Amino acid sequence: MNGFIFKIICLGLLLLVAGTTKVSAQHLKFLIPDNAIVQFAGSIGYFSVGAGYDLFKNKRGILDFNYGYVPASKGGELNIVTAKFAYKAYEVKLRDWGKLYPFNPGFFLSYTFHPELSYRFNRNRYSSDYYRWSEALRPHLSIATEIEFNGDKLMKGSGIKAVSLYTEFNTNDYYLINYIQNTSSLTLADIFQLGIGLRVKF
Amino acid sequence: MFLVPALITVMGLMSCNNFEYSPNQVFDKNSYKDINAGNLKRLGDGRKDDTVRFILSGDTQRSRDETIRFTKKANEIPGIDFVVVAGDITEYGVLQEMEWISRSLSKLKAPYVAVIGNHDLTSRGREAFMNMFGPLNYSFVYGGVKFVCHDTNSREHKFNGEAPNIPWLKAELQAQEGVNNYIAISHVPPNSADFDPKLIADYTATFAAVPGFLASLHAHTHRYELFYPDNSGIPYFVTSAMGNEEFLLIEIINHKLSFERIHF
Repeated sequence: MNGFIFKIICLGLLLLVAGTTKVSAQHLKFLIPDNAIVQFAGSIGYFSVGAGYDLFKNKRGILDFNYGYVPASKGGELNIVTAKFAYKAYEVKLRDWGKLYPFNPGFFLSYTFHPELSYRFNRNRYSSDYYRWSEALRPHLSIATEIEFNGDKLMKGSGIKAVSLYTEFNTNDYYLINYIQNTSSLTLADIFQLGIGLRVKF
Repeated sequence: MFLVPALITVMGLMSCNNFEYSPNQVFDKNSYKDINAGNLKRLGDGRKDDTVRFILSGDTQRSRDETIRFTKKANEIPGIDFVVVAGDITEYGVLQEMEWISRSLSKLKAPYVAVIGNHDLTSRGREAFMNMFGPLNYSFVYGGVKFVCHDTNSREHKFNGEAPNIPWLKAELQAQEGVNNYIAISHVPPNSADFDPKLIADYTATFAAVPGFLASLHAHTHRYELFYPDNSGIPYFVTSAMGNEEFLLIEIINHKLSFERIHF
């Protein structure tokens, strides 16, 4: 299993390198990420790193791919890959030095690699209606707030367009079901989990 | 429009403990530890207690609101020595559910113990349970009665012949000083298709061979049931689920067991 993860990571890195060295054909240019991400917590790793893309003409769509790791000392050991989609519903200009995106609702899928987590329960032992969920694949809902600092103002000539900080709350199918069925004993603060991240646009 | 970030900030301040690394992490810095051992220490050995009175409940799973009402009802009943939650304390076997249920059950005046259920063994539930509650097979003595709590979730152990662990049960059920009676507690009853069919005869025979064995207690089916799988006369009880707002109140006086179904 670890070998498999290693291969995926290598493949991802190769794609990134191939993309950024510009030796690849022009039509592969869309593969080059628009930003790099480091995130702490947020249910997808103790730390995770990723590559992000700006979507749509107005560049307010967010598509992120993250790889996260939880060490055994933090309740792991887990390897997690995540694909996130979000939309910056509002944009607030902050003079000439930055922008605030106060409300970015989103959706993401995480897949956790661990010997005790299966994509699907073994159908030889469990009929299809025994346990209906996937242990490894988790759908999440998210709400993020992001503040972006203009790169030219921040560090002239660095080639960095912008640096942004975000906080992201997420919940998942497990927690939502628990919440919806038990609204008097659980609160939204119980089911929404927090992550914070740094995004560098280049 | 600025209400939204304000709201998010407030949520953030409320939830400084909400930095989750994964729903599948098996502990976090706020997790409870060894709840069963701590509660049993509080319970004591009941050497001077001639009336052992306890509650058998189970399958709290997604029934959190009902669990809160359950704790209120249990707290109204006089003389409860302890409460047993006989498995499926969670639906998805994740840490967060175990933390939530412990938070609700901590409202009980009497100490409680949790027994492992099949749902608690999905995902990484086994490790999370062991961290938070303790071993899957354990026993304690109260008021001269030995309670033998164990894992009968054979399906989750791939019917490998080791759940229930019969040699362990036999060792636990050996005659012991200060113990007159025995009670077995586990999640899956032996009349369920989730119980290893190869072990049923050995399991019931093991109990039948123990002098002073009073009853075998279970949950899992979400339906109250009292059955006698062999001619030993030993009753096997199944309690209804927390979600059905019912539990069993069990009393042992003078080596005799009596019970009552209680709705709340």
